Amino acid sequence: MTARRFVYPQPGDDLAAIAARELPGTQGADEQLLSWNLHLAARRTIGLLPSDIVFTEPPPPR
Amino acid sequence: MSARSTSWWGGRGASCSRHSHVNDQDFNDQDFNDQNCNDQNCNDKEVERLMLDLVIRNGLIVDGSGLPGRHGDVSVRGGRVVAVGGRAGDAHRVLDATGRIVAPGFIDPHTHYDAQLCFDPYAFPAIEHGVTTVVPGNCSLSLAPLRVDQRDAFSSMFRLIEEMPAAAFDAGVDWRWGEGFGGWLDALAENIALNVAPLVGHSVLRMYVMGAEAQVRAATADEIGAMADLLRVCLDAGAVGLSTSFVDIDETYRPVPSRWAAPAELDALSAVLGERDAVLQIVHEFYDTELTIARVEQLAELSLRHGITTTLSPLFHSDANHDGVARVMAAVETARARGAAVWPQVQTRPIDISFTLDQRSLMLLTMPSWWKVASIRDHADKLAAVTHQRQLLVDEMNSLARRPGGGLGAGGFVVRDVMNARNNDLIGRSIDDIARERGTSHGDTVVDLALDENLGTWFIRASIGHNNSPVVGELLAHPFVHVGASDGGAHVGSFSTFGDTGYLFSEFVRGTKSLSLEAAVKKITLDPATIWGLKGRGLLAAGNAADVVVFDAERIGRGPEIASDDFPGDGVRWIRHQEGVDAVVVVNGEVTWSAAEGYVAGARAGQIATRS
Repeated sequence: MTARRFVYPQPGDDLAAIAARELPGTQGADEQLLSWNLHLAARRTIGLLPSDIVFTEPPPPR
Repeated sequence: MSARSTSWWGGRGASCSRHSHVNDQDFNDQDFNDQNCNDQNCNDKEVERLMLDLVIRNGLIVDGSGLPGRHGDVSVRGGRVVAVGGRAGDAHRVLDATGRIVAPGFIDPHTHYDAQLCFDPYAFPAIEHGVTTVVPGNCSLSLAPLRVDQRDAFSSMFRLIEEMPAAAFDAGVDWRWGEGFGGWLDALAENIALNVAPLVGHSVLRMYVMGAEAQVRAATADEIGAMADLLRVCLDAGAVGLSTSFVDIDETYRPVPSRWAAPAELDALSAVLGERDAVLQIVHEFYDTELTIARVEQLAELSLRHGITTTLSPLFHSDANHDGVARVMAAVETARARGAAVWPQVQTRPIDISFTLDQRSLMLLTMPSWWKVASIRDHADKLAAVTHQRQLLVDEMNSLARRPGGGLGAGGFVVRDVMNARNNDLIGRSIDDIARERGTSHGDTVVDLALDENLGTWFIRASIGHNNSPVVGELLAHPFVHVGASDGGAHVGSFSTFGDTGYLFSEFVRGTKSLSLEAAVKKITLDPATIWGLKGRGLLAAGNAADVVVFDAERIGRGPEIASDDFPGDGVRWIRHQEGVDAVVVVNGEVTWSAAEGYVAGARAGQIATRS
């Protein structure tokens, strides 16, 4: 068992920057990334933290 | 027995043969000859020197190794175990353990006794449950190192996250040690009845080095270097490791300092842990399986890179996420197969949460809108008058009814205690039952009742999760699971953190039979001692610290949860007294609690339990 592919935010990152880097050429990458990281959607006012885990692939089918 | 030793023991009657046996264990007749000690005074002194302090006689010795128990005596002198098994000699104190289990003292690896130990050397009532060693400082929060001007900020954070009443914290924590970690340990060591293996908190390290910036940004390279140096100082002073948090927020709802650390910072600190052979503890996003698996992978990388032991806590089972734990354990097994030391901590007890509406609670932390009306907690009259605030709270309460595993509509959500005698008949009744009777919604029922009692009504959501005993038992028995996560000393108004060890035996040894008696003892003695590197503890063996608990295997349990007002200041906390630990608890050779005496006044044999 391995974790879903994930990255940590780099300095200055927001989800859009991560989406552009990790999902190049993907239409609606911001929204896609957010939908895979609902734990981050719940605290948008604070933004990303340096210790956050940001999944760059969807959850496994349940 | 030689004529010489017979003469030497003259006048001591039947004790002679028993001493002879002890003599066999410790020295032989040649020792006496060599000492050339012929006069009676000298011999008496020698008798005294060799006299055992304590013998626990004729118990079933379950030594912590996991091997089958064996009948015999355990002898103690100078705070250490002298011999295990066989027949011991005379001692200043002999305790009959016939029909009882004699085991190493239990080790509780996930606690927050930091504050309580400042005013309560017994960590009451942990010791009576057989706990002789605790690990405080978990989840990124320790009382040191901390600058004087950071005390208020830290105190607010600790009180909120660990649910410690402000009055108790403020009255009990006097900061007499100053700022440094070593000073704190020195202060503790002067006045503790059980052993303390302390963690240093990552959030505190950040605060010390970065000040207010600790909760604003990632650290610079220089700041990381300063934290690493400070961590070395703390480890050299006696810390067994570093704790960090990926989930907690402070009283202003901001993430705690450790959450602002970039991976490189945790990597640098883990390198220091590797230098000192110390442990990394994290509290992870335990409510999310995917994130938990990712943290397991993160810990595995740190463990492999720096050769450290890591532990994450807590790991809960939920029937609503039936394969979540299995998936996490599969990730742990993958990590272990790679050679990483990653230990998930699993508590024994099901999740119960008691709460009132006038205090922040774990129950209410999961209700986003509740935070918006949190300011009403001291103003029940205003709540009654302000319709939109009241409605927010009602809506939140009603939302609980839709949650799986024990919502408002479930029988497990009941009125626990009331403030007004006229409501006595409601005690023990479910919210669902009362709502039906009154023709109100569940949320209205809770809020109306609370308002009627100035928000003082106690509610409980019992057995919310982690309550499928066969599944939890199987998990506890897993060789890679670290039994712990009691949260001792924290969440005092939400649930009792005492008695988890007794519950391990009552529910999972006698009940589901998931573990043998010997395996259960090992899980809370030698296993934690090994994981945390607490040398000389966790195993009843000659030369080891004499931390011993004597209990009844057929009766040990956790006792009922009761309210206690023993903390400084007003307020109630929930505790459980021992059940079945009906004989004695010994810390470093000193009887510290017994069924006959209760807590022994002046017993202060506790030590700072280090890894060296």
